[in-house]
Amino acid sequence: MQTVAFWILLLLFVGAFAAQVARRVQLVAAAPNTFSLDRLGFRTSRFLLDVVLQRRTIRERPLAGLMHAFVFWGFVAFAGYTLVEFLYGLGLVDLTHARWFHAYRIALTPFATLVLLGIVYLLIRRVFVRPPGLGPKLSLESVVIGLFIATLMITFLLTFQLVEGTLAAHINWWVHALVILVFMALIPSSKHLHLVLSPITVFLKSPELGNLANLDFEKEQVGLETVKDLGSKSVLDAFTCVECGRCQVNCPAWGAGKELNPKTIILQTQDALLAGERERKLGEVYSEKVLWQCTTCGACENQCPVGIEHLPILIGSRRGLVSNGDAPDYLGAMYNNLERRSNIWGLGYDQRTKFVQSAALETFDPAKHDVLVWLGCAGSFDADFQKSLRALFGILLARKVKFGVLSKERCTGDPAKRTGNEYMYQELAKANIADLEAAGPKKILTSCPHCVKTIGDDYKKFGYQVEIVHSSVYIEELTRDLVRGAKADPLQSAKASAERSNGHETVTFHDPCYLGRYAGKVDEPRALLTRFGATITEPERNRDNPFCCGAGGGLLFADKEEEPGSRISDVRFKQLQATGANTVVTACPFCSIMLKGAQASAQADTQFVDLMTFVKDRL
Amino acid sequence: MILVIAEQRDGKLNRATWETIAAAQQLAAATSGPITVVVPGAGVQTVAKELAAAEVKEVVTVENPALEPYTPDGFTAALQAAITELAATHVLLPHTYQTRDFAPKLAARMDRALLTDVTGIRSAGADTAFVRPMFQGKLTADVVPQGPAPHFVTFQIGAYRADQAAKGASPAPMRALTVAVDAAAIREKPEPPFQQAKQAVDLSQAERIVSVGRGIKEQANIALAQKLAEALGAEIAASRPICDAGWLPMERQVGSSGQTVAPKLYLALGISGAIQHLVGMKGASTIVAINKDPDAPIFEVADYGIVGDLFEIVPAIIEAVKQ
Repeated sequence: MQTVAFWILLLLFVGAFAAQVARRVQLVAAAPNTFSLDRLGFRTSRFLLDVVLQRRTIRERPLAGLMHAFVFWGFVAFAGYTLVEFLYGLGLVDLTHARWFHAYRIALTPFATLVLLGIVYLLIRRVFVRPPGLGPKLSLESVVIGLFIATLMITFLLTFQLVEGTLAAHINWWVHALVILVFMALIPSSKHLHLVLSPITVFLKSPELGNLANLDFEKEQVGLETVKDLGSKSVLDAFTCVECGRCQVNCPAWGAGKELNPKTIILQTQDALLAGERERKLGEVYSEKVLWQCTTCGACENQCPVGIEHLPILIGSRRGLVSNGDAPDYLGAMYNNLERRSNIWGLGYDQRTKFVQSAALETFDPAKHDVLVWLGCAGSFDADFQKSLRALFGILLARKVKFGVLSKERCTGDPAKRTGNEYMYQELAKANIADLEAAGPKKILTSCPHCVKTIGDDYKKFGYQVEIVHSSVYIEELTRDLVRGAKADPLQSAKASAERSNGHETVTFHDPCYLGRYAGKVDEPRALLTRFGATITEPERNRDNPFCCGAGGGLLFADKEEEPGSRISDVRFKQLQATGANTVVTACPFCSIMLKGAQASAQADTQFVDLMTFVKDRL
Repeated sequence: MILVIAEQRDGKLNRATWETIAAAQQLAAATSGPITVVVPGAGVQTVAKELAAAEVKEVVTVENPALEPYTPDGFTAALQAAITELAATHVLLPHTYQTRDFAPKLAARMDRALLTDVTGIRSAGADTAFVRPMFQGKLTADVVPQGPAPHFVTFQIGAYRADQAAKGASPAPMRALTVAVDAAAIREKPEPPFQQAKQAVDLSQAERIVSVGRGIKEQANIALAQKLAEALGAEIAASRPICDAGWLPMERQVGSSGQTVAPKLYLALGISGAIQHLVGMKGASTIVAINKDPDAPIFEVADYGIVGDLFEIVPAIIEAVKQ
């Protein structure tokens, strides 16, 4: 009788689960295929770290993350137990009296205790602490699921107390089994679908942050215009979102009080997909204004514990807007500059030539030079940043590095790419690649992290492979022997130590998003700073999760678009000021522009120094 | 016969017409042809009288109710008739938006050469060449129009100076030319001109700008810069921190996040010259920078630079200007 009842209930609930999952599988299958499985080794190790060891879940929120890990590990540990009990309930095979099963059950008790501890902590956090990332509204469903999990653990632990065969034991078994069945049926339509999907999405997530395929204009691709254009990985992502809000609280736009909330973007995607709004314009689903607030800093994507990629949606939608002529005015002006003068400022290249001549730079020749220095838009035109480049050249000369520059450069196309002007990006990229291939450098050195990303990662999609390093990384390696080597020369050593004691200073370092987060280079700049006598006080948000300066994604040109909220650069500047250090060291021309602007507006006397200038002055 | 097509709206002359008359006078000197100013429209007597002060052979009004308001069809029909009637060798126009609208159509209708955005006239052997920018201003070309007369030439605004147009000893004779315009054949039905809500201050039109940066130190010191601006007849502008601080309104901000300006004189007081500011004023003809930091990037673009204390230098300049 009970066996028949259990059969019926199981089929009913499994059916409910399958029907809901099938709907989502159909939506994923209907989307253009964007799944990729390159770099399997990297994906496997990331899977072990982020899924099995819960690295990303724990890293940002250690306590809550650990509690979640307890629940997760407990679920995995309980898989065999549930299977045996269900096989018994279905009358198929009774393994519940096997000797090993008894040992297994005893081994499960610490797991159950930890799951119970974890879920009670998480429930208290959700219901009473209510961190902003979880949203303003208490999710009742999450509370129910939390109570379910607690019930499962309690009913499991009760099996040790109850005598088998008694009515109480029967009821206990049924409560446990029913909770599992109802839980299963609730999963697909809730954020708990991440239990099933997140191992898959983590594995499928691109190894490269902010990875977007080039548009193929031959195939008349124009970017994402409507819901049906969203790629299969984006659709899968939408159903995986666990609504933890890590993307939200790390988003600089959200942090500065703008409307953009990366979590909302994913949930809006989910809603639009489930509502079957295939033809709805993405500019409507998310609102155009919101789409232009993204600095492409990558914090959302990088912090997401379940492998969601936000940037392909945000930049992809921008591509769709630009293709339809719906870019904001400030971008129109910038695009004109890129089109007419191949640089973001719209200045004439005679200015770059003047700088190249005044710094006595040689035109790159692979037979003569070790490394090609890429100046970039800032290096070519911004007199302020050119000081930093002169410092870099000084270090290279002092260390006897032979270097040259291209006779002609264009913008790498970074601002065009991140704002969705793919056509212009490809024009610039192809022309630069042709020049670089003709020049034939083995190694490129640049002080612009955006150029590192674009030339190093994005140009690969055109088949151009080159080693490109940021100056912080290159100079760190180049000056490694300096402190030790100084001992050989007592005069230099004395001078160096005297300078170190006099010039000992406390600085704070602002990690550029495209260096710290995208390229993962966080130790090299710090090694340089300490090597040359600085003590670093870290700002809030640092290393591979910095708070953006506000320049990325074309927003350098939208400085006055401050409504609502404040300027991202002002928010970051305050964080840097709060370290108490009077010197802020930067390593990206655009961070420098934004933060100096914020400093000037704040009427503060904070000193800004570029990393290369800092090193050169203390060499 | 050199024709100058005058432009007016609501009985008010577009000053660029004077620039075109100055150009026509240079062309006349080279080709020794007489100049006739044609004023198309309806109710253009006042404008025609104003133009009669110029040293030209005559001023011809081409009036027809169908020419008010302006339509490309109406102007093309009326001007084609007038140009044919007056046997023109050259038709000169200011390179305004209105000209850009109808001149190509008119030239194509008459199957004659049209040279646009011309900045100068030069003799090229027996021919007269017109100088015009090419490839986004990277090159200038001397162009000699081919084919039968008349040749249409439009002149870039500001290429000739309006005050250089020679005035006649006595007013030039005026006459009216009647042309038939079939109102029914005009396909365009213009709506009232749309005027974009203008910023209260349009710095882009200012001839002289005094711009202040953080070197001004205090809000009270803005008055000093304002005095200098008054003495020079200049508009006052600022870099971002000044407007952020509310010392001057946001609409006076120059730079990539403010207005883009191209005055004849840009006086930068205590502006360091961050690149976002520089891109907003790079079009200025003459840049004068006063800054106490000799390494300030503003000196990279300045035509004249003074390294020193602006609180000493500015009063001295005000004095000098007043004398």
